[in-house]
Amino acid sequence: MTRRQAPYAVAIVGAVLITGAIALISSRTTVPGLSAFYLLLVLWLGARWGRGPAVAGSVAAFLLYDYFLVPPTGTFTVSGPKEFLELVVLLAVALVTGQLAASLRQTQAAAEGLATESRALYELATAALRSPEVATALSLLRERATRLESVTRFDLVAMDFGQVTPLAGSEPTADELHQATWSYENGRPVGIAIGDGAVKLVRTVPASPAPAFLPLANGVAVIGIGAEHPDPAELRMLAALIGLASLLLDRRRAGLEAERARGFEASDRLKAAILSSLSHELKSPIAALRAGLTALAAPQAGLKPEQQELLLDLDGQATRLDRLVGDMLTLSRLEAGVELDKEPHRFADLVGTTMRQLRSDLKGHEVATDLADDLPPVEVDELQVGRVLTNLFQNALEWAPPNGGIAVGAIARESVLEAWVENDGPAIAPADLDRIFDTFWTRRARGSGLGLAICKRVVEAHGGTIRAENRRRGPRFTFTLPLARVTARR
Amino acid sequence: MQRALRAGLKYHDFDVRAVGSGEEALREAAAWRPDVILLDLGLPGMDGFATLRALRPATRAGVIVVSVMPGERDKVRALDLGADDYIVKPFGTEELVARIRAVLRRQADVSAGEPVVRSGDLAIDLARRSVTVNGRAVRLTPTEYELLRYLALHAGKPVTHTTLLRQVWGEYAVGDKYNTRYVVAQIRKKLGDDPANPKYIVNEPGVGYRLEAGT
Repeated sequence: MTRRQAPYAVAIVGAVLITGAIALISSRTTVPGLSAFYLLLVLWLGARWGRGPAVAGSVAAFLLYDYFLVPPTGTFTVSGPKEFLELVVLLAVALVTGQLAASLRQTQAAAEGLATESRALYELATAALRSPEVATALSLLRERATRLESVTRFDLVAMDFGQVTPLAGSEPTADELHQATWSYENGRPVGIAIGDGAVKLVRTVPASPAPAFLPLANGVAVIGIGAEHPDPAELRMLAALIGLASLLLDRRRAGLEAERARGFEASDRLKAAILSSLSHELKSPIAALRAGLTALAAPQAGLKPEQQELLLDLDGQATRLDRLVGDMLTLSRLEAGVELDKEPHRFADLVGTTMRQLRSDLKGHEVATDLADDLPPVEVDELQVGRVLTNLFQNALEWAPPNGGIAVGAIARESVLEAWVENDGPAIAPADLDRIFDTFWTRRARGSGLGLAICKRVVEAHGGTIRAENRRRGPRFTFTLPLARVTARR
Repeated sequence: MQRALRAGLKYHDFDVRAVGSGEEALREAAAWRPDVILLDLGLPGMDGFATLRALRPATRAGVIVVSVMPGERDKVRALDLGADDYIVKPFGTEELVARIRAVLRRQADVSAGEPVVRSGDLAIDLARRSVTVNGRAVRLTPTEYELLRYLALHAGKPVTHTTLLRQVWGEYAVGDKYNTRYVVAQIRKKLGDDPANPKYIVNEPGVGYRLEAGT
């Protein structure tokens, strides 16, 4: 006896046993409605094995009851309408009960199937997301997907930074890769769609062997479905697997991006190292020159005054060369994206530092400062802003007439400090007011054209702006710096 | 560079010995006992900072660090490791001689144990804990006095923010540079010093502060 036949055998044996029991009871005493016992059996059969055994049980009960218990017994004939009615009711009730029990069983089975499906998915998702290697996780996924009966293919193609990479052991053809790229770039699925938590087939030709393409956030799923009418449960599972694959592709992309950022960082470090070594290479000879020239220019060296003068003049040239090299290195550092060491500073302190550094140059010029005691502190990189002030002062010194005035000042405006440096020199041609900040642009043959370009870069790196304008008395350079958000403490 | 410096310094009547590496510098410092050591941070062989670290306990000589990088990090590190001053290449002989003389003068002051430190018309009497400008007494809070006292004890020498924070506020305050900036601003105000053109406490950009030494 096979597994499929067993429930039917149980149905018949059960009906025989119940018939025996009813016969035994009715031989002793008269109890009406004993046939209801059959219903218990049918109910149980339906719940246990579904409709088929329940119907078999009902028919067996009907026949046995008629043959052994409905007068005239021993025949399948029925004596009167009452007995006939009893039999029909038995059959009808048995059939309906069996049907109900069977459909109940089916619902329960479906629920259990769903639970199993979600548990399997959950386990797969956990395993996949836990796996440190995205490739391993994707292979797990691919393996699970191809275990579905109707799925013949489940390939993943990653799309990163314009590069197409087949993943997890999939080997799409060149043509398929082409189609996948098209689908990704246009954001259009081919032959497949996902909706209501399940995969839907969109077929122009029925059961075409060509795979379907579904674009994901960072790649494309290449899916082959063999069956003409796939099981809806499988299509749901497939949708869930694709969702998971999409997540894993996102994770892979995040990893790649982090790696790329590390690469960029390394190249920034390399740039910084080159600049640092370049600065060493360029500055060391200048340092030797200056040390030698100034040593020989000392009175103790015993040279004639005009020789000393010549040496000091050469030292001045070496100093200019040093400044030029310094400016070029500064500019390339700023272009390479220098990291600002921002801290709260009092603007007056920054001005003080610069004026002190330039004090020998500033001799003979009157410097007026307009810096209120209660100016709020600025959030800046001290050295970089020092460079801005130094360059603006040097520019002012270059243009101010001998003994001419230079003025520096600042006022707070909402979230920025507006600072200016002005001199009594000649006005800047209106057409030059903008390009004066361009690299290598200079009003004089002597200038390097870098000083103001550096100012602009530094101010802009701080999120500020810089501009030049002409007042009646001479040019003025105005720039803004961010205010610090600190409360002073003691 | 070395030859030029040696010649320049000899014209100013200094006795000079030059060595080519950190190891030799350590040996020479112990054997010859110089007053001032010029240490180039870009030494071949032993790293300049390592030499400085090894040099400090071995000698009482003043150390002036020479660096080609204008970056402030090297300066701060060298000063925190016990250097007395720094100078950035390229520089003229006059400038270097001025730095050397300042270091020598400071050594003399320290050994004289002078209780009053002067900077222009500012006088800080370390024994009596009093501060006067032009003979007029200035009232400072304890924190302000501590900071000024520390600068006075190292008059003429750049003192880093980290050192000031550690000495005045204690280890926990290290890193909060705005503390020192705020207190220095208060001291300047009380001393009648213009922050845009300070006479007494000057900024060492990216490093810290220095009290101008001498009268």
